[in-house]
Amino acid sequence: MNMPMTYPSTMEPAMTPADEPILDLRKLSKTFGEVQALDGVDLTVQPGEFVTVVGPSGCGKSTLFNIVSGLEEPDNGSVLRFEGQSVHAKHLLGRVSFMPQRDLLLAWRNVIDNAILPLEIEGANKAEARAEAQRMLPEFGLAGFADKYPHELSGGMRQRVALMRTFMFKRDLLLLDEPFGALDALTRTMMQRWLLEVWQKHKRTVLFITHDVDEAIFLGDKVLVMTARPGAIKLARTVDLPRPRSADLVTSPEFISLKRELLDAIEEESMKTFGPASH
Amino acid sequence: MTYDPMSPSQHALARGVFGGLALFAIWELAARLFDLPSYILPAVSEIIARFWTARAVLGEAAAYTLGEALAGYLLGGAIGVALALAVTLVPQLRKVIVPAATAVNSVPVVAFSPLILLWFGMGVSSKIVMVAVAVSFTMFVSALAGFDRVDERSVNLMRSFGASRAAILWKLRLPTALPLILSGMRLSTVRSLIVAIVTEMLGAYGGLGWVIYQAVIVIDFVQVWAAIFVASIASLGFFAVVSFLERRLVFWR
Repeated sequence: MNMPMTYPSTMEPAMTPADEPILDLRKLSKTFGEVQALDGVDLTVQPGEFVTVVGPSGCGKSTLFNIVSGLEEPDNGSVLRFEGQSVHAKHLLGRVSFMPQRDLLLAWRNVIDNAILPLEIEGANKAEARAEAQRMLPEFGLAGFADKYPHELSGGMRQRVALMRTFMFKRDLLLLDEPFGALDALTRTMMQRWLLEVWQKHKRTVLFITHDVDEAIFLGDKVLVMTARPGAIKLARTVDLPRPRSADLVTSPEFISLKRELLDAIEEESMKTFGPASH
Repeated sequence: MTYDPMSPSQHALARGVFGGLALFAIWELAARLFDLPSYILPAVSEIIARFWTARAVLGEAAAYTLGEALAGYLLGGAIGVALALAVTLVPQLRKVIVPAATAVNSVPVVAFSPLILLWFGMGVSSKIVMVAVAVSFTMFVSALAGFDRVDERSVNLMRSFGASRAAILWKLRLPTALPLILSGMRLSTVRSLIVAIVTEMLGAYGGLGWVIYQAVIVIDFVQVWAAIFVASIASLGFFAVVSFLERRLVFWR
């Protein structure tokens, strides 16, 4: 198999100062004691772009997100640039909208009050925040559920509340960590299409982690494949599929050939993790 | 089909009342049938009659004891929760506070009563301190278990929204711990009254324990039983009020 091993060769068109990347990571590494989780991640995200990241399990995807959301500092020598400025990870706290894998809704808050949590932390006026959330409910498929508590909601609905909370925290960059990982296949497909609608309407930038290649291609403008641990970017592919994307896209030849290429790359990395079987 | 106007909790209450009445009936019968002397077992009717004649003394004593128990309960609750919070926010403290608290709790609190009476005198303050010591350990253990249930991922989520430590404490840690804090408070109600009464029996100027002690000295066992009944009612009432508050505050379970 012949496969492009490096990322920069397939970069986007030349940058102009006007479209400076919102997020620019270079040689980003992270070591926990003896374990190296990330080893030289290079990654750029342009404003308005939907970038998906796939990789074998344990490849350090979540560590990458923890750094970009400001929860962990990368090792020395890593370059982390946000909105054109070199920053420490901790300066990103409160500057990107982070959505972890689990919905992490607060049991004692109803749908509206869960959704406005980040605004409340920012010190926004509660009544105004609630009114805004109320207006957003239909778009998130939650009309009529304002006063429900998390234990009264299905998994898909809880996830939509968590997404709404993420969207209400109005930051240009959204980090979504396998938001649909726990949902059944049907709900998941519906949520993907719905997410694209919401994204196009709100014009936000998204960095999206998944381990589902179909999902990565269906959603992304660009798909990044990570190597096995220590994680780095193995492959970057632009997805030249027209938007808006419909469900039958997944059976088109372009989709299939891109999927095959990405699956091969992931397969090769998974083999490293699980050891050589025959060769 | 039969129409049932009572809820399950009303059924439970009805059964409890019925059980109590049945017990009293048997008691009354036994006392009369065997003509037991009142220092062995007075008849229920005798005790109830005493309620009425001694209502001023018993009422005053009950208020005295409840006041001590409540003050110690609130003080001990505050100390227990504060210690648990300190251990949660400064993890290094855990290795110091947990063994110390366990050591104090490994001895029955009543064993400390002579010292506490010596240090704080025969008045209400020694009872308040005793109750506070007893309650604070229970509350420390409950509250610590509550704070330990906080999901680190939720803390991280709040941090990613730019939340301060105080905001995380107020909006996440305390509400998460609240169910266990309140169940600890519920269990501590009965304990606080027991400790207050026992300490009063060892030396006091008033209260139900003091009434019981005085009645024993003058061999007035009807008075002892009347005071015990009052203590039991006070204890159940206290428990019921806190249980009610708990159900109201922890509505999401």
